[in-house]
Formats: sequence, structure tokens, C-alpha cells
Amino acid sequence: MTTHETTSPGRTSRSCGCPDFDEARLALSRRRLVGTALAGGAVALGPSLAGTGPQAYAVTGRTATALAAPGGSVLVLLSLRGAADGLSLVVPHADPVYYAARPRLAIPAASLLAADAMFGLHPALAPLVPMWNSGTLAAVHATGMATPNRSHFAAMEAIEDAAPGSSERNGWLNRLLGELPGTSPLQGTAMGNQVPTSLFGAHPAFVVNRVDNAKVSGTEEDGRRLASLRHAWTGSSPMSRAVRDAISGAETFGLARDTSAGTPTPAYPGTGLGKALSDVSRIVRSGVGAEVITVDQGDWDMHTDAGTLEWGDMKRNAGDLASSIAAFFADLGPAADRVTLVTLSEFGRRVKENDDYGTDHGFGNVMFVAGAGVRGGRYYGSWPGLHDTLDGDLLVTTDYRSVLAEVVTRRFGVSVAQVFPGFAPQAVGVMA
Amino acid sequence: MAKDRPTLLSPSQRHLVTRFGYGVDATLARDVRRAGGASAWFERQLTRPGSFPDAPAEAVRRWWPDLDRKPADLWQRQVQEVRGGWQVMEDYGRWLLVRRIRTRRPVLEKMTEFWEGMLHVPVSGDAQFTWRVDYGDTIRRHALGRFDQLLLETTTHPAMLIFLSAATSTKRAPNENLGRELLELHTLGAGQYDEDDVKASARILTGWHVDLWKSWDRSYVKEDHWTGKVEVRGFSHTNRKADGRAVTKEYLRYLAHHPDTAHRVCERLATKFVRDDPPRSLVKRLAKVYLRNDTAIVPVLRALVASKEFRASAGDKLRDPSEDVVATYRALGVEVGRPTRNDSGANAMIWQASGLGLSPHAWPRPDGTPVTDDVWASPARALGSMSMHWSMAGGWWPSHGLRYREPKAWVPAKKPIRFKDLVDDVSRDLLHRPASRRLLETACLATGCKAREKIDREHGLYQWGFPRLLAAVLDSPDHLAC
Repeated sequence: MTTHETTSPGRTSRSCGCPDFDEARLALSRRRLVGTALAGGAVALGPSLAGTGPQAYAVTGRTATALAAPGGSVLVLLSLRGAADGLSLVVPHADPVYYAARPRLAIPAASLLAADAMFGLHPALAPLVPMWNSGTLAAVHATGMATPNRSHFAAMEAIEDAAPGSSERNGWLNRLLGELPGTSPLQGTAMGNQVPTSLFGAHPAFVVNRVDNAKVSGTEEDGRRLASLRHAWTGSSPMSRAVRDAISGAETFGLARDTSAGTPTPAYPGTGLGKALSDVSRIVRSGVGAEVITVDQGDWDMHTDAGTLEWGDMKRNAGDLASSIAAFFADLGPAADRVTLVTLSEFGRRVKENDDYGTDHGFGNVMFVAGAGVRGGRYYGSWPGLHDTLDGDLLVTTDYRSVLAEVVTRRFGVSVAQVFPGFAPQAVGVMA
Repeated sequence: MAKDRPTLLSPSQRHLVTRFGYGVDATLARDVRRAGGASAWFERQLTRPGSFPDAPAEAVRRWWPDLDRKPADLWQRQVQEVRGGWQVMEDYGRWLLVRRIRTRRPVLEKMTEFWEGMLHVPVSGDAQFTWRVDYGDTIRRHALGRFDQLLLETTTHPAMLIFLSAATSTKRAPNENLGRELLELHTLGAGQYDEDDVKASARILTGWHVDLWKSWDRSYVKEDHWTGKVEVRGFSHTNRKADGRAVTKEYLRYLAHHPDTAHRVCERLATKFVRDDPPRSLVKRLAKVYLRNDTAIVPVLRALVASKEFRASAGDKLRDPSEDVVATYRALGVEVGRPTRNDSGANAMIWQASGLGLSPHAWPRPDGTPVTDDVWASPARALGSMSMHWSMAGGWWPSHGLRYREPKAWVPAKKPIRFKDLVDDVSRDLLHRPASRRLLETACLATGCKAREKIDREHGLYQWGFPRLLAAVLDSPDHLAC
């Protein structure tokens, strides 16, 4: 298929009379050379509309080979947006203040799962108990940022940027990408519509809503549409970059589109998170070179109606979280040995419940770590004790970056200094 | 063909009406010319929008009768599984999109959209949907008025009270949700308040009530109002009375007139209508105008448009997903008819917007639809836009309840047209500007045609290749930028 790379594109017969055509053409060839080094697309020689013969540049199609060593580690960062209540997800049943401060919201100790002397899991997390028991799921409590920040938006930026004091807009996962070998345009992939702060930065990030949509429509016949798009979007604006990333990502994405959705037991719930993780599994199993993948679950901002064991948003959201993660790891099959999933929220909730079955913005939270390399089946972190006051917060005893640092150093072998500048992590022990 | 070309607005006029409109078409260009130019048109849009007859846009509301049902009625229909709230909210988004396509009062519509973004109540949500259409209507009434009045209306509106948990907040443990976001998102801005301010803000707002899940009536419940001294960023009140409505009003008036609010409102305006990261000096100037005019919006918009920063920003903004959908319909001159099926164009439009990343006011977080480009400049957005442009360039989808123009709109019946002239015609028609050299090159690459090639109705481009040309124009930065 490389014939057309090395032969002259036949300028005379192809010139459209456009002044910049030759330059555009050269740019096209350069891009093609880079592109085809990665992808083994097929040349489609469609008829010209004007009947002037084959289109020398016409290339489309999809990747024929996987781009990265299929054995590499994969990190899935699952963001619980809106600030999840860690005190409901992993309940400190041995702290009496918890029950005093939450007369209606507290989860009864007798109903907790995987309980130890101090903690237990919310009953809606039942689908995760097998992973807990088999040692591939752990929780680290009282985690968060060094100083409280109760603004959703400022806290999300800060926690995903993870470089306090730096004014560069460069998320920690983007810095991690910079440390990883590999050339796939999908190396950093976000599920959704926007690049999250964690992935934002100098290295390209692919964003995909649904795997099946990750293609450039109108490119089936020949390469004309891609050629024109590349010519139109040569600038340095954010959208120019997005268009180019979209094209290279969509070309590489062929294998993921060809990988069928799994039908694991337990099944994925029919929720946004369930669908997203089903797609993440396809991406990982297809071997397209995605190493860092972000997924969001929203609706954790439960000022009202968090509810009880019988009803409410907590039961619903926690159940969705647990079913989705359990299905995801079952679906991965052998690839589960490569995938580590971490949950993160911008901050936690206050200890004291408010008047309508909810909680207001707080501080410390719990993080779950699941999958490859996890020393699971236990709770990590140091418990600071709770206070039943209006301002009573779960204090942070473990910087969230210590947990993340352990994941990235153990799974990817990168240095902490590059990913979390100026940060000296403490040992958590959650990763082998 | 060339002699029939419509006169184009000058680049600076085009810039103003593009940034404050939804895409320049022949009707809009005529309105501008008749008004005596873009500045005069803008002034009339600001002060007398009613002087632009808008019956075709007004008529659209009747296409979706659920938009005018009362909250309790909507709720009953949801409970009885007649029609779900999410479906009514889809209608709301559809109505907005078709209205934006048709309206001759784009500045009012654009400002309504702007405030609905800043004072955000998402359309999704099982409780607030009951009041959500009324919320948008309320904002439209104040969109070119004064911010202090707008803020009072939105903060105490049932949709906002429900969404940010104030509808059931009581003095026993005041819910901080609205009290906080009022300070952070609607007025002073992040970093301009502390946690004590949040608590006092929440206390002031207790008492405003909505009868959730029952009548959905709004009321003021004095027994729920927290009394006692409150202080928020320089606002202080003894707050002794059980009826806290007067305190709320004073408090909101204070916030609306605060210099930090002036800065925040004007920064968002400048970000949306000038460019991402607007110069501080511009924001400062606008904030002064805002304060000097008792929070009136119109003088601020006048000053913004008169600024050199605005004039220099032509083409610097990226259309967001909804703007891309609306501009694409307007550019192609697609006629949208009353929907009769689920997949009629007027209905399908909402899925087109969400395919690009977001349907109107569906942003899930309280900070509202972002006004910076970087959020929308993502590969997923690019793929979504290209997909929509492609399917609409060919008139393939949506196809029901719409009328697309045929290639004969551009290719004359008798005399062939040179490809470069054809591209120029299409560019003038779709983008209201002559074809740039790059656009011509792009069109050559997209179609395989040469610049001087003659196109007639026997030509392959006319016969079946025309979507390639239209898509190339729609995919270009010239269409996506505004």
C-alpha cells in the first residue's frame, strides 16, 4: 500500500489550479508518511468526479495492526463528579460520631459489606464484593488535597491539574503521557465529549463519546474528504489540533470499532457509566494503544435526597458504580491483568447531614483502587476521627497524589517528579 | 450567475451580526441593510427587538404544546406515563433550536441563551423540569434588562430553588447548595467568598419553598426562615423578621451591584462575545459601565461592541454545538416544518446537537454551558460536526419534515459555471463571504475538480458529487468560527 507514498503524486495531472496546491500536497504527503508508519490502511482508487483519473493521495481505511505492545499497563481514571460522599461508600462504623452526626443518612453497621473493625462497604456495592474477596479491590480512606477547597469547579481543576503553584494548564495524566513510550494517537483517551483537565495539555488526547461513532463519515469511498479536511485545518488553533487528532485517532480506532462489545456476567447496567466502561473494555481488548483512559460518572452532588438504604440517589449511584466496575473487569477477561482502575472525586462531603437527606460540601474522601497490581481486600489510610459540628469534616490524612503516584510508578515505571512536580509521596501500600 | 450575487455586508458588519446572531443569511443581511448598517441594526435589536416582525419564529411554540402546560399537569402526565419530563425537555431544546434558526431578533435570543447559561438550571432533572420552560421565559423577559432584576427573578424562581436544593431548605440545617453557587457562579466568583459567607447566604435564602411532588406551587414559608444577624461580604442585616423576603431582595440587590459581580458578569460576556481570556482592561471598562448604569445590560453590550478588542476578534470564536447545528441549517437554507413524526427534522435536531457534544442547556453541572472554545475544540466534537455536516450536505439525515435546497440552486440551467466561481457562489451563500484561496483549494481536494473546470448539470459534481462541496464548506474554519 505504500506505492503512493514514494511515487510522485502526479502534480501536473492533478493540479487544480489552486495556488497553494503543491504546498498542500507536500503537507499531505508528510502527514501520510507519518500516518502510514502507524497504520496499514488500504488505498482506495475511486473515480474522480471530473473524470481525471485515480486519486494518488486517496487513502482511508483503518488500522490493520495494533499500535502498542498489547502487554502494556492501562490506567482507567474514573471521576466521581460532584463530590461523592465517601462516608457513605466506605462507612466508618466504629466511629460513633458518624452515627451521631447522621441520624437519618447513616448506614447501619449490621448491613455493611466486607466489614473490618473500622470500616465497611455500602450494601449497594455488593457487586464488588467478589473483587474485594479475591484481593483485586481496595479502598484508601481520608484522602484528598492538602487544603480544603469546596468549590466543585476550582477543586476539579486543582485535583486534576495536580501541580499546585504551577500556572501551566497541564493535567497530571497528560504529564504521565509525556513519560510513556508509544506513538498511538489514542494513548490518552477520554470517554465523553470534552478533554478533562487531567488529560489536557501538550500531548494529544483523543476524546470519544461512543466507540462506534469514532470515525470520519464520508470517507468510505476515497480519501478526498480527509485530504480536504487536513488542508482546511493546518493552523495552530485548538480546533485545528482537534480536527487533526480526530482524524488520526479515528483511523487508528478501526480495531476498537471492530471489537465487539462483551457480554460479561454480571452484565453492565444500562447506564451512561455502564456503556462507557463497556466501550473502554472494547478499546483495551482491541489493543489500539490506549494506556490512559478517563471516564466520568456524574450526579454525586447530593445536597438532598441522598436517601437511605431503601431509596435515594446514593443507593442508585453507588449501585451503578459497583455494577459497572464489576462488569468491566469480568468483560476484560485476560486483559484484566493489565488494567488498574482508580476512582477520584473533587472533594468529599461534610460529616453532618443537612435537613433534607443530603450533605453539603466537605473535604476528605475515599478512593477505590481496583485491578492489576492492587493489594486488595483491605482498607488503607489513617483514620483521623470525626467531629460532629457544623464544619465537621473528614480530615485528609493521605494526599490523593500518594495513591496515584503508587499506581503510576508501579504500573508504568515512571518517576514521581515528572508527573507530580515537587511532591514527595508517602507510602500507602495499596499497590504491589 | 455573478450578476445575481447578493451584496455582502462589509467584513466588520458581518462580524457584528455573526457574533451576535446565529449565522448570516439573506434575510438577516436585508434586515441589517434596511436598518442602515450593522450598528444601527444592533441598536434596534437591543432597544426595540419587537420592531423586527417575528411571526414565523413565534409560531414554532405551538409545535410542542407541552411547553405551555402547568407544572402540576406536566408532573401528572409523567406519573401517569403519558409523557415523561425528559421528553418535554427535549421539546424545549427543539423549540429553542428552531426558534434560533427562524428568529429575526437574534440579539435577544442570544442574550437569553447567555443568561440561561450563566444562571444555569439544566433541563435534565426529575423535579425542576416542571418549572424549566417558565424559567427560560422569565430569563427572556429580562435578557436585555437589568442584572439586579434578572438575579432576583432567577434566584427565587422555583426551577432554581429546586435544582440547587433551596426549595426545601429550612432553618434547622440550611442547605448550602444555592447559597454557595449564588456567590461563586452567579455573582462574586470563585475565591471572592469564604465558608462563613456561604453559611450566611444559605440562611438568608431559607423560606423560599416549592411544594415538590405534589402541587408544585411556590410559596414562602416563614416558619422555615432562619432569623438572626447575617453577614456576607460587606452585606449585613439584622434579619429579625420571620418573613425573610425583603432580606433576600436586599441581599440579591447588594450582590448584583457588587464590583466583583460586575467583573464576573462582564468577564463572561467578554469571553463569550470577544474571545477566550479577554483582556483585563476590557473587562474593567465594561464593569465600570455596568455599575454606572445600575446593572443595566444594554449599555454594557454597546460598550463591548464599540471596543477595539471586539472589532479585532472577528472569527476568533468557535461555534459551540448548538450554534453549529443552527448555523448549519441557516447556511444550507434548510426549511424546517412542523414535526409529525419522531424523526422529523424539527425533532431530530436535538440529537444532532447532542451528537456534537451538548444539546441546549443540558450541561450537567451548575456552572452552565461553557463559553470558552477549548471545551468544544475536542476530537469528539470534530467528529460529530463532520458527521452532521456530511449528512446534511447530502440531505440524507434528517430527511423528514425538511426541505433542502437542490444543487440547481447554485448551478445554472443553461450556461456552465467555472468551478472556482461556483465555490465562490456557494461560499457567499453559505458563509456570506467570498471564497478564500484556502477554501477553493479545500474544495478542489474534496471534489477532485479543477479551479477552471466547467460545471454543468451533466457534470458528476452536479449529478452526485455536490454534497462533497457543501460539506467541505461546512467543515471549514470559515463556518465553524464566528
